[in-house]
Amino acid sequence: MAGDAGHGDSPFNIHPMDQFEVHPLFGDGPVQWYSLTNATLWMLLTVGAISLLMVVATSGRALIPNRGQSSAEVLFGFTRKMVEDVAGKEGAKYFPYILTLFLFILFSNLLALIPTSFAPTSHIAVTAVLAIAVFVTVTVVGFVKNGPHFLELFWVSSAPTVALRIVLAVIEVISYFVRPVSHSIRLGGNMMAGHAVLKVFAGFAGALGVGAIIPIFAIVAIYGLELLVACIQAYVFAILTCVYLNDALHPGH
Amino acid sequence: MEKDTFSERLKALEDRISAAKTSREPASVTGAQDKFTKGSLAWRMVTELVAGMLLGLSIGYGLDSLFGTLPVFLVLFCLLGFAAGVRTMIRTAEQVRKGESEAARLANAPATKAAPPENGGAGTPPRAEDRKATGADGPGKD
Repeated sequence: MAGDAGHGDSPFNIHPMDQFEVHPLFGDGPVQWYSLTNATLWMLLTVGAISLLMVVATSGRALIPNRGQSSAEVLFGFTRKMVEDVAGKEGAKYFPYILTLFLFILFSNLLALIPTSFAPTSHIAVTAVLAIAVFVTVTVVGFVKNGPHFLELFWVSSAPTVALRIVLAVIEVISYFVRPVSHSIRLGGNMMAGHAVLKVFAGFAGALGVGAIIPIFAIVAIYGLELLVACIQAYVFAILTCVYLNDALHPGH
Repeated sequence: MEKDTFSERLKALEDRISAAKTSREPASVTGAQDKFTKGSLAWRMVTELVAGMLLGLSIGYGLDSLFGTLPVFLVLFCLLGFAAGVRTMIRTAEQVRKGESEAARLANAPATKAAPPENGGAGTPPRAEDRKATGADGPGKD
């Protein structure tokens, strides 16, 4: 973009991380909390695409669904089944939240695959907020459902001595906090790595002249892989939310 | 009168759909999903291990910079974090094993052939009701 003129000499003019830069849409001052950035734009587009599919496409409520309605129904039914399978009947209450998470991540991952678009889920800031929201929800649900007994999750009463129990309690507490961290790193890392790899291969194609045909085929293959990763990561995020929810609803397993 | 035959036909169609679904579902679903879940499972365990260590490391470093005792808590919590990571990973593995034995039990027992239709049945009636309710203004395709 603006900096391209600066780094010119080498034929390998590859800047794989430039695509993750957040910059304001209007003007080019520093990014404030209120400035509309490309991240804002693509998150809004994500929400718009979801509304288009889940609200507008199904608004006909046709007996014989058209294409849009049946895809919406498939997504809905798929998530519903997943929630009921993993979190049980009690977990079905939290289905709207999980469907929202799943659709948001899925659509923002898929929209990020459009060339020159921006991937909000490749930023750890976005995925960490999603993961912390899940973490807080699950913890609150655990305390509301089980009261103080929820803390017994951290106290291994089968250990022989109190000193050992204290050490184990520290380990258990850390491992409880591992979940939001791994939850967010997994999604953000996957998306960022995939997009960076695509950009690196695109850079090779730019440098190789006629030989560019090889990296172009590689890009096609990686693009397919990224399509898979985008869907799987959304699925994994949603199913792990169900697993954590299930742990909070039935502690002591 | 007209409505009655309509809902009857709908019911017959619903039955035929669920029969067709149960006859072809098992093979197609598990094959594709298995590969995905295996791959994402490995990835999940790795991140849990790494996240445990990172968390222990940062807690230790934070405590050390708070008390000014640099290597002590760092070392201690690094080990604790590693233990926590392994703990989480093992729990994940346990969960998977439990799920797998459950799936195997379901697949082996011939009596559970009734399970998928029952499952589908639980999901479809509300939708059928929904369709019936809104069926009046549906497209006049039939």
